[in-house]
Amino acid sequence: MTSDCIISTHDLNLWYGGKHALQSVTMKIPKNKVTALIGPSGCGKSTLLRCFNRLNDLIDSVKITGGILFDGQDIQAPGTDVVALRKKVGMVFQKPNPFPKSIRENVAYGPRIHGITDRYALDRIVEESLRHAALWDEVKDRLDDSALGLSGGQQQRLCIARTLAVEPDVILMDEPCSALDPIATAKIENLIDLLKREYTVIIVTHNMQQAARVSDFTGFMYLGRLVECGQTKQIFEHPADELTENYITGRFG
Amino acid sequence: MAEKFHAELDTLKKDTVKMARFGRSMLRDAVDAMVRQDTQLAESVVARKEKIHELEVELEERCYQLIALYQPMAKDMREIACTLKVITASLRIGRYGKVIAKIVNEISDAGNGPAIRSIPRTSPMMSIPHMADLAIDMIDDAIEAYDTSTLRLIEDFSSRDDTIDALRHSIFREGITHMMENPRSLTRCTHFIMVARYLERCADHACNIAENVHYMETGERIEIH
Ligand SMILES: Nc1ncnc2c1ncn2[C@@H]1O[C@H](COP(=O)(O)OP(=O)(O)OP(=O)(O)O)[C@@H](O)[C@H]1O
Ligand SMILES: [Mg+2]
Repeated sequence: MTSDCIISTHDLNLWYGGKHALQSVTMKIPKNKVTALIGPSGCGKSTLLRCFNRLNDLIDSVKITGGILFDGQDIQAPGTDVVALRKKVGMVFQKPNPFPKSIRENVAYGPRIHGITDRYALDRIVEESLRHAALWDEVKDRLDDSALGLSGGQQQRLCIARTLAVEPDVILMDEPCSALDPIATAKIENLIDLLKREYTVIIVTHNMQQAARVSDFTGFMYLGRLVECGQTKQIFEHPADELTENYITGRFG
Repeated sequence: MAEKFHAELDTLKKDTVKMARFGRSMLRDAVDAMVRQDTQLAESVVARKEKIHELEVELEERCYQLIALYQPMAKDMREIACTLKVITASLRIGRYGKVIAKIVNEISDAGNGPAIRSIPRTSPMMSIPHMADLAIDMIDDAIEAYDTSTLRLIEDFSSRDDTIDALRHSIFREGITHMMENPRSLTRCTHFIMVARYLERCADHACNIAENVHYMETGERIEIH
């Protein structure tokens, strides 16, 4: 697992002002696998996820200590190209957030920003990304329609296509299905399963069955600490820590 | 929701313990009926067969419902998995009780001709009651371990199972000796040998419960030979 790990944190601590939101988190994210982060609300899942592409930089009060390595590079180091990092480590949010533009423009936006202007190249990226996001067949005849006319599940897959368009290595997903119905959810779950052939996926979810279904590895967080991290089968069949056991079986609090 | 689930799971486990004791009582009474040549008691065991089948269907159904409605995980999942195994083992034990009870009727003095009545029935019987006691003790301990999560009760199951196996062999050899000495004892001795085999299977089912209780409590699989 060590050699095949794409992101690792070492003794990672994060404070929002006086609030110690991540406490000595040491974990490894295996490459081309799906890792799920679970834990009660406020335990720091989104915070940890945002560390992986330095989205916490946008919050003024944040202070971070400890190391985060992506592909062997310390991403906290001064001089890190944050734009390049966010291209490599993309993010899909809880609520689908397409731009109020056409479907084509939503996907082409990222590559364009990164300097691709050739119309033909962009069309190819749009098609490939939409195919990867399992959306192509549903939208291929209406690429120039507004993205806002899509259903919630389609919008979420469009956001995934938008993330894929800039060819990331890692896709971070923060509760990507919580605004979706069961059918749209099942589509995203299938998609996650396909994505891991080429990408590393880290997903935050409150749905334990979803974590069990889609992930290879699961980390359980509680009050800012990573309590336990291991193979999903093991975590859901017999977790090593009693806290994890209690959380998974709903005997919490 | 979790509270409702756990309340239902607790009741299900209590009812499964009742079913297990019901199956155990069928075996106990069948052996007693055999020892005492009590055909009425044997009849009552045979009559309980329907009830235990009903219990099996009902309890299994409740397990499936809990799985479908709550998708249990970790210890909850292991408890239901173990409960399903206990239900099956209890049914089997009860059914062996029924099979033994039927033999009681077949080889009883009452209702049979002088040919059967004159068959010796003491000697090979000697270790059957003892073997039955040991097997039923194992069943009791396995049920208790399941009911109260007490792994200590099943710690020595491996050696207890060895004793059961040894007794079965000895009953087998004893039976053969009797049959060679007195061909008229063939029917009875064959039945006794079969009963010893059933008791051994019942002890195996107790081991099965024990293995699953161990899994339920620890998440680790063990094998008891
Ligand atoms: N911008 C912020 N400023 C101050 N505190 C914050 C900020 N963001 C999060 N926190 C606090 O940090 C802790 C961790 O928050 P985080 O959003 O990472 O939790 P979470 O595990 O994602 O929760 P949820 O499951 O509800 O999304 C919480 O106590 C939260 O109140
Ligand atoms: Mg969150």
